[in-house]
Amino acid sequence: MEFVSSSIPQVGPAGLLLRAILGSLLGICFLVGFIVLRRWYRARYFRRRNERTVALRSWWDNIVSGKISALDWRFDPLDCDIVESILLDNIEMSTPEKLPPLLDCFRISGLLDMRIYEARNSHGWKQRTALLALGRTRAAEAVPALAEGLDSRLRETRIAAVRGLGRTAIPEAAIPILDRIVAGHLDAPERSLKNALVNCCRSSPGMLVNYVAETQGPVRELLARVLGELASPELGEELLALAADPLPEVRASAARALGNSTTSYTLPALHTLATDPEWFVRLRAVVALGQVENLGKIRILLHAVCDVNRHVRQRAAWALARMEPQLEQILEDVVATKDEYALQAFISELERSGAIEKIIGALDGSGTCSQTALMEVVAGARKSVELTGKAAAAAAGAH
Amino acid sequence: MHFLTISNDTLFVYYVLSNVIYLGLLVVAIFKNTRHRHRLGSLRLELIKASPFTPPITLIVPAHNEERSIVSSVGALLGLDYPSLEVIVVNDGSSDMTLEKLRESYHLQIARILYIADIATAPLHAIYRSSIEPRLFVLDKEAAGSKADAINAGINAATSPYVCVVDADSILEKESLVRIMAGVFSDPGRVVAVGGIVRVLNGSRVVGNQIEQVRLPKRPIEVMQVIEYLRAFLIGREGWAGFNMLPIISGAFGVFQRDLVKQVGGFRTHAVGEDLDLVIRMHRRLREENRPYHINFIPDPTCWTEVPTDWKSLARQRARWHKGLIDTLWPNRDMLFRARFGRVGWLVLPYMWIFEFFAPIIELVGYTTIILALIQGMLSASFFLQFLLFGYAFATLISIGSVLLEEMTFRRYGDWREVARLLIYCLFEHFPYRQLTMVWRLQGIWQYLRGDLQWGEMKRVGISAHPPA
Repeated sequence: MEFVSSSIPQVGPAGLLLRAILGSLLGICFLVGFIVLRRWYRARYFRRRNERTVALRSWWDNIVSGKISALDWRFDPLDCDIVESILLDNIEMSTPEKLPPLLDCFRISGLLDMRIYEARNSHGWKQRTALLALGRTRAAEAVPALAEGLDSRLRETRIAAVRGLGRTAIPEAAIPILDRIVAGHLDAPERSLKNALVNCCRSSPGMLVNYVAETQGPVRELLARVLGELASPELGEELLALAADPLPEVRASAARALGNSTTSYTLPALHTLATDPEWFVRLRAVVALGQVENLGKIRILLHAVCDVNRHVRQRAAWALARMEPQLEQILEDVVATKDEYALQAFISELERSGAIEKIIGALDGSGTCSQTALMEVVAGARKSVELTGKAAAAAAGAH
Repeated sequence: MHFLTISNDTLFVYYVLSNVIYLGLLVVAIFKNTRHRHRLGSLRLELIKASPFTPPITLIVPAHNEERSIVSSVGALLGLDYPSLEVIVVNDGSSDMTLEKLRESYHLQIARILYIADIATAPLHAIYRSSIEPRLFVLDKEAAGSKADAINAGINAATSPYVCVVDADSILEKESLVRIMAGVFSDPGRVVAVGGIVRVLNGSRVVGNQIEQVRLPKRPIEVMQVIEYLRAFLIGREGWAGFNMLPIISGAFGVFQRDLVKQVGGFRTHAVGEDLDLVIRMHRRLREENRPYHINFIPDPTCWTEVPTDWKSLARQRARWHKGLIDTLWPNRDMLFRARFGRVGWLVLPYMWIFEFFAPIIELVGYTTIILALIQGMLSASFFLQFLLFGYAFATLISIGSVLLEEMTFRRYGDWREVARLLIYCLFEHFPYRQLTMVWRLQGIWQYLRGDLQWGEMKRVGISAHPPA
């Protein structure tokens, strides 16, 4: 340590090492002091906040109705913070009937203007917090300020703006997002965009249809995915256009919506989609068919249970196995397809739903030749289901 | 210059440098942590849970002779707050009643599911699915003598784009999956893996496989490990992740992109430290392909795990960790100082070689030469004492920094007395615990050189045995 020891006198009488020791000890004292002070301050702050929350809660109705002037709490930072957080929580949870007085309180107290100002003029965390608070207000006048946030050069701020717009859950808030997505001017994580659009367009999914029509490529896929979550029977005949869309995502979303529809074109449209070249479109169509109350679907499901894709097959079998009064006939039809995979899928779904014993009981009681033959097929298929399970495991192990 | 002088100077520089690096990591961790907490403020976990776009995740639980806790562990995992969850328990050739307990409790039936062994594993006996809990699958496989093999089988069977590996004897907090996935949602295109924090379970009150009250353990050996874990996770991993150089995601709790894990060949079956090995191979692959990526660490999703309570088990664990380190660093030595591996090859791997792998050797040589220099009169006693005091104070500063981070962020130890105890133990951690760790790590090196790559048994008290506070 000679070079170290020799360098000590050069740095002054205290010496490098002594300074380092002193620095480290000071650092320790500082950290311990900081921990202790922080604990003490936080305990005091939360006690005080708790007391003020109780007081403000007891005056809550008067605060919201304006009987207690905003001047009484607005300029005390702690009171203002408590009232704002309670208001925002209430707004988020409120029904449309209870919303107006809460929003009025937010407006009249100037909190909304303060947040709009902060969203437009602040920077960093303060701006992002304001954007999110604005979103939670669900107020239409917050949308322009939130939309400006979408043009920020900072990604974090853009994400906060997207989340804020999403939280408003009003259709007007979707427009700035959609306009920018279509124009290719919005760089934000896809998941945030999709979540925001789902929230905003839930009450009027029709507004997405035009945008889907206008766009191409990944943007169209993104919008189609959102539409797939939201598409509803109210889209009417536009659903038929979507069902014939070149993009599989869009067709899948149409299939999903058709499941909730009871129009005359539902079954034919789902029939077409159940034979789509894309497996996930067929799967969506088969799932939708499961929801439709129409015996005409049996024919389509019988076709789907023979699908090349095992997910489609299994889902079709699931839907068929839940058509209680027709199960015997369906079983005969499935056997008639001479498709072993279809039969296995159907039998395993019957076993899962617990209907298999009833069918066996019914077949056993009839005693006709054809029923006995059917029994044998069922027994064979049950055995095969069990063996296939074991074989799959064994094959896996052989790798 | 005399050998002893060179050696002592080297030790001094080495010691200062290692602590300065950790101090730098502490500063980065404080910054990153603060930013993460701000982000969390804007991210509503309920919205993630309710979103239709939240991707499904598969929990893989390797289980070997876990009959005592497997049913309650699986129950707790199925009860995690996540919208789309699949749990795959891999019964890794248990010789006890692990499978029977699962079969009985969850009504397991042989399942006909597609299993493609993209990663080669020991043979499977059967795949089961629960008839009362459709999210639960159980793979019954032959033991291959490694946890990695069991995890690989689980990865083969997983249907979700993300897999999360969890130890059967660990406890995940209810929201930990949503929280860890928030790290993926921040940039799903780039984030390929995320690690959560692993904390010490010992001493806490556990009810129904959930932590009811967090308490510090009573025994000094366990409290020392609490500080070590806090320092390693809240400073080390947080700091390295800040520069996208995270070298390890704990095997007890981490989320990975399933396809990427398959691409790199899964967990290396005979690796001693399979978690470290996987992450380094992921870095290698992604850098070789020049793909933009981020391997992240998120400090709030928490996994509670039991740590050794006796010196013998602790010694074995530390020796194994060091063997795992060598076992990963040596095969990847070609990554050192190669431009294509960027900061991983230039910074983190050299750091691991110098300040992790060689640390016990350098410390041992240092202690020896300092004593020799003292005996020969080449080193003044006062300077020696000053150096000791400095080293002690600087290292204590870093340890207290990790307690500070814990205080600033999660405050799991809410009681004043617990924090005071943590701070007091920070003062005693550097003697003789540090020196003992050095010996155990040296044992690890020796065992590795001898070809002894066994895991060794760890004596566990068992989750259910943690007493009410």
